[in-house]
Amino acid sequence: MTADKEKRRAISREAARRRRRVESEVFEDLSRLLPLPPSVQAHLDKPSVIRLTLSYIRMHTLLKGEAWTKAQARHRVKCGRVMNGGEEPREHDGGREEEEEEEKETEEMEASEETNLYLRILEGFLIVLSTEGDMIYLSENVSKYMGLTQNELMGHNIFEFTHPCDHEEIRNSLLLTPEDVWYGAKRDLVLRIKSALTPRGRSTNLKSATWKVLHCQGRVKVCVAPSSVSCLLLTCQPLPLSHTLLSTHTFTSQHSMDMRFTYSDQRITLLLGFSTEELLGRSIYDLCHAMDINHLTKNHLNLCFKSQSVSGQYRMLVRSGGYVWVETHSAVIPGCRPSKSRPDANQPLCILCVTYVLSGVEEPSLQLSVDQIVHI
Amino acid sequence: MSAGGSDGTADRQADLAAEEEGPNQAGSSLPAGELPRKRKGDVEERSGPHVQHSVDLQLDDDFSGSDEDDQHVKIKCFREPHRHIEKRRRDKMNNLIDELAAMIPACLPMARKLDKLTVLRKAVQHLKAMRAGTSSAFTNAAHKPSFLHHDDLRHLLLRAASRAADGFLLIVSCDRAKVLFISESVSKILNFNRIELTGQSLFDFLHPKDISKVKEQLSSSESPRQRLIDAATGVQVQVEAPGRPPHLSTGARRSFFCRMKHSRLAGKQEDKHLLPCSLKKKDTYRYCTLHCTGYMRSWPSSQLDAEAEVDAEAEADAEKETSSLTCLVTMCRLLVHVPHLPSKDLNVKAPEFVTRFAIDGKFTFIEQQATAVIGYLPQEVLGTSCYEYFHQDDLRHLAEKHRLVLRSKEKIETQCYKFKTKHGSYVSLQSQWCSFTNPWTKEVEFIVSSNRVVSGPGHTKEEEADGSEALQEDTKQLPIIPGLSRGVGTMIYAGSIGTQIANELIDSYRMNSSSSSGASSPFGPTQEKCPQISPQTSNSVSSREEAAGSSSQSDSRRAAGAGSATSESSGKQTQLDLDSMVVPGLSSFSSDEAAMAVIMSLLETDVNMGQTGDFEGLHWPF
Repeated sequence: MTADKEKRRAISREAARRRRRVESEVFEDLSRLLPLPPSVQAHLDKPSVIRLTLSYIRMHTLLKGEAWTKAQARHRVKCGRVMNGGEEPREHDGGREEEEEEEKETEEMEASEETNLYLRILEGFLIVLSTEGDMIYLSENVSKYMGLTQNELMGHNIFEFTHPCDHEEIRNSLLLTPEDVWYGAKRDLVLRIKSALTPRGRSTNLKSATWKVLHCQGRVKVCVAPSSVSCLLLTCQPLPLSHTLLSTHTFTSQHSMDMRFTYSDQRITLLLGFSTEELLGRSIYDLCHAMDINHLTKNHLNLCFKSQSVSGQYRMLVRSGGYVWVETHSAVIPGCRPSKSRPDANQPLCILCVTYVLSGVEEPSLQLSVDQIVHI
Repeated sequence: MSAGGSDGTADRQADLAAEEEGPNQAGSSLPAGELPRKRKGDVEERSGPHVQHSVDLQLDDDFSGSDEDDQHVKIKCFREPHRHIEKRRRDKMNNLIDELAAMIPACLPMARKLDKLTVLRKAVQHLKAMRAGTSSAFTNAAHKPSFLHHDDLRHLLLRAASRAADGFLLIVSCDRAKVLFISESVSKILNFNRIELTGQSLFDFLHPKDISKVKEQLSSSESPRQRLIDAATGVQVQVEAPGRPPHLSTGARRSFFCRMKHSRLAGKQEDKHLLPCSLKKKDTYRYCTLHCTGYMRSWPSSQLDAEAEVDAEAEADAEKETSSLTCLVTMCRLLVHVPHLPSKDLNVKAPEFVTRFAIDGKFTFIEQQATAVIGYLPQEVLGTSCYEYFHQDDLRHLAEKHRLVLRSKEKIETQCYKFKTKHGSYVSLQSQWCSFTNPWTKEVEFIVSSNRVVSGPGHTKEEEADGSEALQEDTKQLPIIPGLSRGVGTMIYAGSIGTQIANELIDSYRMNSSSSSGASSPFGPTQEKCPQISPQTSNSVSSREEAAGSSSQSDSRRAAGAGSATSESSGKQTQLDLDSMVVPGLSSFSSDEAAMAVIMSLLETDVNMGQTGDFEGLHWPF
């Protein structure tokens, strides 16, 4: 009896071992099909293999049937060349094929470089979010900003990596109405995300992560076939704490927490016409176009809660009439403490702003506000 | 954990257990959740044929087990969390498998749930099919494999970044604004072919008035005032000594608007409604306003040619002594600025013009479209009270709305009312008022008004008839407005209505922040103890004081502003904080002067830095 039991147990153990081996093999097969370098493939654990497979399939589904898939884009380029009379239409003969291949290569490289440049200009990374908050895809450069690699993050949920106080805002952004989907509605929010980067820029582990403020902008995207699936495309830019000032087009200012000016640099006089003394104690809300107040309010709220913000483009009034389009990057910084040279300074917190002036003076002879003095 | 790792370990453990099982057979079969007695052997026995699903990792079991009891305790502590960990792992894996099955077409039609292995096998098949359908990018060894083809990534980036779903990449040389590279998407935006534009001077297709502005943006390193401002500490750090081009590893950022020519040849493509094109018919070209954002980069000129195989890593070469070319790398997007969303209610007419009042009703902002409606120029209206223009019949209800809007977060609709135009006649308007509350101080700073003209039959005649009468009536009969004091012999000018309503609000703010719950009158003794605040500047000064005070004070202030009654202690606290805030010796200074002192010291240090360029020893105590 015992021997029998033993035998059965042995058989079941063998069977179990075989099953596990087969399973491991299938996992290995799967990981080899993922678009990753072999060294990375070999070290993925099973949940990660599935996670990445899921992302891979989801992205493929999302992009299927898009008019601008690579193959069609190439076709258009070819047609474009023909139509411009630049080259004669090619015939497919043996000799030509090689050249074509080379050309394809060059095109590929160019196009790939172009994408890289876009990413660099963006100064951020791309996230594709499902309506549940799963990070289906992140561009590779995410590691530069979060210290975590694309492979570590893909397939995980964004709520695991963001500040709890921002979760509600994120949830609201993920709520998609049919109109949002149809019109590809925009999204714009500031959130705090975990960053496993040291101040020097090296990666540490998640346990010693700090919060990084990200500005996320994007739109809703939908793929209609085979099944309707919507997601959010977001470009995420960390809000830099360093800005290079161009003498002609940027100025800095300091404000108390209610956004009244406490300091502005002399550039503001050149750009807006107001003297720095005139501005002290004035609220920025008085100096912007009435239609842009919501922009600034949102910016202000982000500052209060998240300590950093970037305004969208808004209009600031020019003293002699008209306005300029500007964009302001702000941060809450520890305020002045009393010191020997400045015994009266006693603000625990204040707001520092760097404002980029984007346009020239528009409507220079228009008086919009009581603060302007327009000579007709 | 490596792919095979954990299970391998479990295998080993299980095997070990199995080997030990013989001599140490427990005999009793315990369910997995039971309190353990010593050994892993039990597990093997319990699980039997289902070992795949219920292998309990006994990794932490203490074999050495000096004391039986100790061992029991140890095992107990470890196994429970392990059980949970294991369960979570299994659940997670099962969830993942389910998700995977949902994504694979071959798995969907199955009525019953598929087992793990089958799902995985189908996934493998699916991926193989997927890859077969895509291009040679993966099979080409030169290309790094990636989850998204770079074309797809680029399109997603552009889609995310702009409403118009397209921008184009532009690289221009800084010295002569030669277009070194322009991406294909330019054809969608400006309707020019990229080949037409490459190698041209950017100035040739900019709006003439924007040329000087863009020239400024392209100038890179001459300005000695180029500094980095570190927002964390507020330090202005000088980047480079003037004369030497700054190291461009981080890339000086550029962001500006400009107008570029749009080809008027709308031949092959349908005339799309490119939104922000201004209709300047100069030289038969239309212009599109673009927002250009990017950065400055240095490339060795040898690496560039007209078609620009741009090597983004040429940065390393910048260190060499080759002649380097500074370029602006920028993305240009169509500018679509929608100041406010159009009303979803189609019955509501779009506002004709927007105005802004101070809380006392004085106009502080007025759009130019207003002039067409009311006849007055902005200069004539700004600074005057809106009440001077209201017909006296409407004063009562508008004053009521005024009072209401100052205390409400909602938008307030007025009824139709008459507004006096420059020529003496009245125009019928209807407005939507909304107060603006400072997010920090929670105090109302001004009111924004969306105004629309209401037209109806017979209005014009009435207006004209009323016109002359109204002027006379104003001076004769003063309307009775509840809440406003009206003594014998007092002349109420229309403008003062607004001022009085505003003062009510200011008083209520002061009252809330300094009164005690027990005080019978809002103007109790606590109020008097507060430092004198002159009524005109009370609004701004109180906010400034609050900003300057401690955060706890501002908290209490905010709470007060929200309307909750504050206790006597907080009233005293307000007073105390104000005192302690103003450092003795400077209490005689007004806030304005104190602020000036701060600015002066800032400027002082600024000048020092500019002269010496040495900021190492400077402590900037922000």
